[in-house]
Amino acid sequence: MNEVNSSESFRRVMGRVSRQEFVGRVAELERVVGQSSQLKNGRGLLLLMEPAAGVSELLRQSYDQLFNQRSDVIPIYFAFTRHETTAVSAAIEFLNSFLQQYLAYRRNEPELCHASLTLADIVSLAPSSDLQWIEQLVQLYGALRFSNDGKELVRFCLSAPQRVPPYVGRTFVMLDGAELADDLNGDVILGTEVLRVFGRSGFSFVLAGLRRQILDAAHKAKCNFERLDLLRLEQLSSSQANQLIEHVARRQQVPTNKEVRELMVQQFGCSPFFITHFLQSAREKNLALVSYLDCERLYADELLGGHLHYHFQTLLEEIAPQLDTRLNLIRLLWEGVASNENSASVEAWRRRLRLDTEEFEYVMHKLHIHEFVNWTGPSLDTTTGSTTWKDYLKVSYRLAVLNEPRALVVADAITDALKRAPHTIARHYKRLGQISLRDLLGQLDCQRVPRMLFDYGSFAKKYKGVADGDVLQGIESETDLLKLPQVVHVASSLAFNSVLSQVCEEDKCAVAHSFEDGVYSDAQEVVWLVARVESKLEVDYELAKLWFERFDSLAQVFAFRRYQVWLISSEGFSEDACSWLLERSAYYSNDHQVELLTHQLGVSIKPQSEDIDTPDEFLMVVPMGEDNELLAATTVEHVARRLSFQPAAINQIKTAIVEACINASEHSFSPERKIYQRFRVEDDKLVVTISSRGILPTNVLGGNASESNSESDDVAEERRGWGLKLIRTLMDEVEFEKVDEGTSLRMTKYLRNGEPGQTRSK
Amino acid sequence: MDTATSVRSHCVGTTAVVYASDYLNKLTGEKIERECRRQLDSGCRALVIDFADTQLVNSIGISILLGIIDIAEKNNAQVVFADVNNQTVELFKMLGLTRHVALAKDEEEALSTLSGFNPTPITH
Repeated sequence: MNEVNSSESFRRVMGRVSRQEFVGRVAELERVVGQSSQLKNGRGLLLLMEPAAGVSELLRQSYDQLFNQRSDVIPIYFAFTRHETTAVSAAIEFLNSFLQQYLAYRRNEPELCHASLTLADIVSLAPSSDLQWIEQLVQLYGALRFSNDGKELVRFCLSAPQRVPPYVGRTFVMLDGAELADDLNGDVILGTEVLRVFGRSGFSFVLAGLRRQILDAAHKAKCNFERLDLLRLEQLSSSQANQLIEHVARRQQVPTNKEVRELMVQQFGCSPFFITHFLQSAREKNLALVSYLDCERLYADELLGGHLHYHFQTLLEEIAPQLDTRLNLIRLLWEGVASNENSASVEAWRRRLRLDTEEFEYVMHKLHIHEFVNWTGPSLDTTTGSTTWKDYLKVSYRLAVLNEPRALVVADAITDALKRAPHTIARHYKRLGQISLRDLLGQLDCQRVPRMLFDYGSFAKKYKGVADGDVLQGIESETDLLKLPQVVHVASSLAFNSVLSQVCEEDKCAVAHSFEDGVYSDAQEVVWLVARVESKLEVDYELAKLWFERFDSLAQVFAFRRYQVWLISSEGFSEDACSWLLERSAYYSNDHQVELLTHQLGVSIKPQSEDIDTPDEFLMVVPMGEDNELLAATTVEHVARRLSFQPAAINQIKTAIVEACINASEHSFSPERKIYQRFRVEDDKLVVTISSRGILPTNVLGGNASESNSESDDVAEERRGWGLKLIRTLMDEVEFEKVDEGTSLRMTKYLRNGEPGQTRSK
Repeated sequence: MDTATSVRSHCVGTTAVVYASDYLNKLTGEKIERECRRQLDSGCRALVIDFADTQLVNSIGISILLGIIDIAEKNNAQVVFADVNNQTVELFKMLGLTRHVALAKDEEEALSTLSGFNPTPITH
């Protein structure tokens, strides 16, 4: 691939943003551009897009890169749109776009791509070396245009790029929005025709659209898959999505902050489509997005009447043009989502929608293509859509089906989203902070690791209270090794039994199918059933038994011939729990063992690091752990001495700070693993604020509700819940301040009577 | 403060004296617990935990101390905390630790408190 000059000479032709503003998709861009290479020998590329993953800008940027390269590759970009009503009109539009873009490239005049030109204009602008074939093309078009053979005309228009004489160059056509080609009226199915014409042309091309639709169309067109390459286009990564928001927000002049950006990333599932439309809406309304409230107010507006509403409404109108069918469909879809229905009866849906077989299959097919449902024969799963889709369904159901007052629906949309936001972020941070079970299990590939890493009892006996370096050294020298199986498939346990969602989050339990010794036989097949058990202390016998029995029951239901239970808990397991699990040949590890295992397997977690805002006051930032709370305690000791606190009071402040730091470390899901400490000295008091990104559980904030799935023993929990009690006893004022993305703990200690420098007492 | 070194201890008859470090937290607490278990497994019937060097304790450290008291109870062993500074005593009181354990001014007083419970001295 030629190097693209990033200087001012790089011209933006089709791109909606500059190359610098184009975020993520670097590898995909190279792949698309690379498809035009002669080495590809005329292979087609199917770009299989996850819904709302955004593909247009990728193709537009690819076009610009090829245009600026000025090689023998003549780029052509064409997007099917909803404006075209028939296959014939869409094909004619394609022909026009092709000729204009061809001329633009040949004349090196990018503006011609966007000019309004007639066929006569095109002929008159054609370079002399192209005049003959273009004139001929236009004449043939004129003859076919008024014939009654729509299919012939469509094929003629689509095959126009093949008429370019080889000595001029090679056309490289990129088609965008293939799913729309299927919705056009008339006798010709355009999507299928596109694949037939281009698939047999011998020219390289790209066809981008919804992944399920494209594959379906390729099969219908009987494409030779040996001549096709596939590129799957999924959502951006969190960091790419964050970057995208920063860029779009800057372009749209929408003020944002990092907390809101993170929320948008998670709430929209890193979808470039949702993110850009949301920010566009903020610009149109001249809104700043600097708090969760700003964000969720706009989100509610969007669901009820903005760009997002229009997007989903348009799709639903295409899927079910009749109003009564559409309302029935909304009802069925929402009921399915609300009841977490992953195996609804298709026959029951058909009866309730009151459609004939053909109409019903059309609706089901469309829902499946857009991934609003998974349709597999007699059953369908309604839980697959994005969060934004589900939220849209909910408000639509309440407004259009239940006829609830709009004001109530709006209010609930805002409050529900606000209540959900901290948990969305907390889940994200938890995922970042912990090794993913899926990643970890996926790495099991017949390695030999110390057996002790799966036996907490033996591990604790040997290594509890031993310094990390010594543990690592000890583990390296262990001779009793366990040969791990080769894992071939991992899924959340919730995918097998959705009831488990009541006690465990999706990414904290897994079912991994594997083979011992990598031998694919019934005898060697073993299913690993793995869960992270929530508990601040060692998991006791009852909880360990409960989890084992859950997995045992799951194994019975799904007839797993051999299974291996592995329970993980942050602090390990009590002695009686260990004995009970050992008798059942279960594995049981604490987080430290899992860390050591990941070290052995070479799995890495990459927490996102972020820049710290420049402090404008006396601020100390310490990493969590490693006794760093002592640094804070020592610092505050010096500060308190300046105020002449008595030694006893200083000790109380130090203890409170140590507890606050421990609290922050334990409860925060901060990806950066840092604790921020502010010390403010006033005449009569010392104010210390400890904060970290991440969320404290609601019970710490004094609320009753909790989303925690923790089932650990109350008494044991109580023993580890002393930090806050101590802080409240040791300090004069203690206040939690809830901020969007976490919690600050502000503690004040007043100088008492008799202490120098005091002006008031508590 | 150094939390990396191992725990100092010695035996006086069937009583083990275990020395807490300057900061009692999870790691140092677990080290003390480990040492106490070892001493009990070796036949000790009483434990003195000496806090003379301890300047700061945290709640996790205190919860581990409670665990040690539980373990000692299961082994019919007595526990005495010695030389605890006033601030730490306040913390122990706040969290109810003093209901389960005797406090002694220093190691000597702790050993004399326990002397009545050690009828058969053994040597390690």
